[in-house]
Amino acid sequence: MIHKFSVRGVADPADQSMAHLRASLRLPDLQVWRDYYIEFERPPSPAEIAEVAAALGDGEIGTRVVVDEPLDPDNMVQVAHRRGVVDNESDSIVAMCALLDLPARAGKVATTYQSADPRLVEIIAATRCNRAVEDLHTAEPVYQTLVPVGGYAPARRFDLLALDDEELAALGRADGRNLSLEQMRQIREIQRATGGAPVTDVLLEALDARWSDHCLHTTWRSLGGGLLGRLVDAAKDTGNPNIVSMFHDNAGVWDFYGGHALAIKAETHNGPSAVSAYFGQLTKLGGVLRDILGTGLGADPIGCFEYTATGPPDAPASIRGRPAPRQIALDTIRAIKEYGNTFGVPMMWSRMAFHPAYRAKPFALGGSIGILPRDLAARGRPRPGDMVMLIGGRTGNEGIHGASASSAGATMAEAAVQIGAPLEQVKFRKAIIDLRDAGCLRAVTDLGAAGLNSAVGEMGEACGVWINTALVPLKTSALPMWRILLSESQERMLLAVPAEKLDRAREITERHQVRATVIGRFTGSGRYGVFHAPELDEASVVALPPGAMPEDTGELGFDVPYELLGYRPAPREVGPPPATASTVEPWPELDRPELAKLLEQVIGDLEVASQEYADAQYDSTVQGNTVHGPQYGRRHRVPTTYWAGTPVDGLPAAAVFATAFSPWLYEAHPVRALRQMFCALLARQVLAGVDLIDVCVCDNFYTPHLSEGADEWLVAMVDELAALVRRFGTPVISGKDSSAGSTHTDHGLVHVPPAVFLSALGKVPHVDQLLGEEWTDPGNVIVRIGPATPSPAATVAGRALGIGSGAIDDIGPEEFRRYLDAVAQSRHLFRSGTTIGSGGVAARLVTGSLASGLGAELGGGGTADLFAEHRCAALVEMRPQDVAALPAALSPVVVARLSPAPGVRLGGEELLTEAVRQRWAGAFVGSLL
Amino acid sequence: MKPTVNVLYLPGTNCQEETLRAFRHVGAAPRLLFLADALAGRDRLDSADILCLPGGFSFGDHLAAGRVAAMLLRTRLADQYAAARGRLMLAICNGFQIAVRAGWFGTGVALTVNTNGTFQNVPNQPHEVVPDNPSPWLAGLSGQTLEFPCAHGEGRFVAEPNPDGREGWRAALRYPEHANPDGSADGVAGVTTPDGLAFGLMNHPERALDKQVRLAFFANGVRAARG
Repeated sequence: MIHKFSVRGVADPADQSMAHLRASLRLPDLQVWRDYYIEFERPPSPAEIAEVAAALGDGEIGTRVVVDEPLDPDNMVQVAHRRGVVDNESDSIVAMCALLDLPARAGKVATTYQSADPRLVEIIAATRCNRAVEDLHTAEPVYQTLVPVGGYAPARRFDLLALDDEELAALGRADGRNLSLEQMRQIREIQRATGGAPVTDVLLEALDARWSDHCLHTTWRSLGGGLLGRLVDAAKDTGNPNIVSMFHDNAGVWDFYGGHALAIKAETHNGPSAVSAYFGQLTKLGGVLRDILGTGLGADPIGCFEYTATGPPDAPASIRGRPAPRQIALDTIRAIKEYGNTFGVPMMWSRMAFHPAYRAKPFALGGSIGILPRDLAARGRPRPGDMVMLIGGRTGNEGIHGASASSAGATMAEAAVQIGAPLEQVKFRKAIIDLRDAGCLRAVTDLGAAGLNSAVGEMGEACGVWINTALVPLKTSALPMWRILLSESQERMLLAVPAEKLDRAREITERHQVRATVIGRFTGSGRYGVFHAPELDEASVVALPPGAMPEDTGELGFDVPYELLGYRPAPREVGPPPATASTVEPWPELDRPELAKLLEQVIGDLEVASQEYADAQYDSTVQGNTVHGPQYGRRHRVPTTYWAGTPVDGLPAAAVFATAFSPWLYEAHPVRALRQMFCALLARQVLAGVDLIDVCVCDNFYTPHLSEGADEWLVAMVDELAALVRRFGTPVISGKDSSAGSTHTDHGLVHVPPAVFLSALGKVPHVDQLLGEEWTDPGNVIVRIGPATPSPAATVAGRALGIGSGAIDDIGPEEFRRYLDAVAQSRHLFRSGTTIGSGGVAARLVTGSLASGLGAELGGGGTADLFAEHRCAALVEMRPQDVAALPAALSPVVVARLSPAPGVRLGGEELLTEAVRQRWAGAFVGSLL
Repeated sequence: MKPTVNVLYLPGTNCQEETLRAFRHVGAAPRLLFLADALAGRDRLDSADILCLPGGFSFGDHLAAGRVAAMLLRTRLADQYAAARGRLMLAICNGFQIAVRAGWFGTGVALTVNTNGTFQNVPNQPHEVVPDNPSPWLAGLSGQTLEFPCAHGEGRFVAEPNPDGREGWRAALRYPEHANPDGSADGVAGVTTPDGLAFGLMNHPERALDKQVRLAFFANGVRAARG
């Protein structure tokens, strides 16, 4: 019995968002409301229906609830999740009904738009409906049930021994799989080695995911004898004593103070975000937060960051039916806001970039840092007899083939997109910490790509494991075994719980209202087993003696020794990368009016302009530990170049975070760009006050796979990164590679540039030693220090002037090392400081003035002086009398004197005009709305 | 004896650590009170000197911020809720939304979507302490301007006058003119009950960078609990 409750507000003149929506959609009479469909366990009485309506309208002023009024096709259109997609609010609707003593089975939420405008359907379809997961209803939908349906289907079996190569290859690619012929041949050998019985679709699907580029990093393993090993070897060579764990766990772990350690991890969700930016970005952040939770025996996230590069905002979708860049940007903001804020982790840094190479498949990067006790920071290992406990959300029919499809270019289907539900994750976040502190965890990991298959398969590798998929709590009534195993439903974690701690673990999960189910046992067999036995209940699994197998294993998916599950891709050798432009364009000399005009263009470029519209939607202060960033300034909020927080109560020590990335730079020369970005990253940390030895790095490679020289550039970048790690003693301890950056679009292949996003985590023993970024005193001078990178290539001003191509500068590591040492020695002379980046010195002076309300007086300066992007250099504020004390290694140049009146004046002429202010404040939001 | 504080921990609460810390730093003995324990009768909302409803997104803000939790207070936990209303109570952000929906501050008041339609993150939001409110939570702060973070999406305070003229709330904090991040009517940024025992506000003093500001309200509440 399903009833519909429409919660309708009255026109509210104070609601600017509604006025804005009406204006932006050009529907001046638009009304919007929420419809709640509720499936009750029994037919409710009229009084009970009225009670539900009252509850849904309670506490609102000027709201009425209309019951069972169908859509009027003449002036209404409704957007609702597709059937089969579980609505996140369903559980809360059921809970609300239970509080009214009216049992309900499921709920569904929809949004209805009403307008007399005949273009209503067309406008809403184009702007408010995500076809990947939502339906548009122009007439009242008829639901038989709100519970997603699903059924069990016996596993399909394939006798690979009877198939020739052509048939093997076809089977490897069938049903959405991406298994190569080489991999199918190996599975045929598994069939032979395990007695010859036909293999199931469960095994094929499990290995499709396990051997995908996403899970096994086949591209990186196949190149140059293994690329990851080069970075790990370089990190080991540094002998840095802060390394606790690197590339061994869900996140890298770095020593902190007071018996604590910090974890860092960043991940991309490029494929899903191209299909549905909202869900792709939602689960990007959710996934990386789970990585932190699943580090060691459980770390607590203390900060997150987000970077998204997509095509120019006005560009159309590159693939019909996919979201266009502008929609991706807007959906990203909504998703990051909803997940990060709900989870309760402060935003440390966020930025969006708009570059044509990302118009087909965005660079959707999310990261997090966390904290955990140093003595619990080692990756856990289950022991035979431990319980396989699954906690968190239920498993649904979503995110199927996410791991293998994300490794395969543009073939990702809508079903591969995961659906995020942050509430579940908030619930188990603290539960995991409590379980850890109560000694209930022998190991913990998250469920992300390839779902249970990856989590169980990897954790069980230590000793052996089996699971009964019939015990997995489902969103639907049933699912085939392989779908349960491969579903990438979010907000789930896998625990290895010692048998003697099971009761205590249950107490904790029940107290936190977290769903927890024992679905199998770890064994000493060295085998990975999956079966579906509905008759085998949880109590029977728990009661089994350690090492024992249940008598009833129902239908067998597979039971294979781990030594047969390894796969080593064929090695590929590559040569040097192709040649790039070698000439450097000169900067033109511009007169003052031309410089002023150029400044307006540069400040209004989306790489430089304020992204306050997005930033203001992300909670940066939750947890109460943020001491610096992600913005500063009392007059205007401008981005900081680093973030700092004090995560341990009673300790003055701070974690320091910074990033470095520029697609334009990587487009010009990937290796030189990497060197500049690595140096810029270290410059930010050292200028902030961090000792070089206390900085570690996280890398996120996003590279094309079908462009000329793609492999060569990748190998060259990894080698460069390894060399930089050794030179500066700054290890890369975490990272991820995404090697599917070439996309077939409706207009041909689109390649992202070979690039690596770098983030750095540092630490200082006392927060007071950090250098602020806000100008402090009129009369002080602004001094440029550090190595120059004057080429106009890849600069904002260069693009505006049409000289943005050409060669970019090289940075000498030895010279740069001397510079960093000099910064560390001279820091006591600095009153504030910030590194230079996009937009050059001019942009930093503008934001410095906007933030502080002070002014900068420049005696002179040409185009290059103002707009060259010295990415590894800095602007520092000093007392004039201290300048002479700066060492030559800083290459100091006084560029401006601070004055009390806001502005940036060149020879007395104001450059920071009202037009510049407006471009800075309005360009980003204006391009999106 | 240190005054005791129950910090209610609901599914979706996410500001519990900084709230516990603030109470600890002013000499109280705070602890988390799990909803599951209160529902099972293992513990009670009114088992401490002070009840605190902290920030977060209880039940994911599903069906509107604070709605499900408020219903819980009025139904399954009705007796504990009634008992707690005679004690000191601090409600922050989502806790304030819950308290308002649960009727702690009377009828005719609501916290609705910010005028800009979305979340507002303002780290240095100024608040003026209303001079004539004698609530113990505001003792010694009358007329002061305190800066602490704003971080919410549904914090626009709206009120309709009660026909009998007996309101269940008094203004406690106001936004300065031209610095109203959510569009609250009359700039109301926080309220107390008429007896001053309960104090609700949308923004987050427990996150303030300045230690004195961070602890001011908490110290007052704990002092009042000591008698």
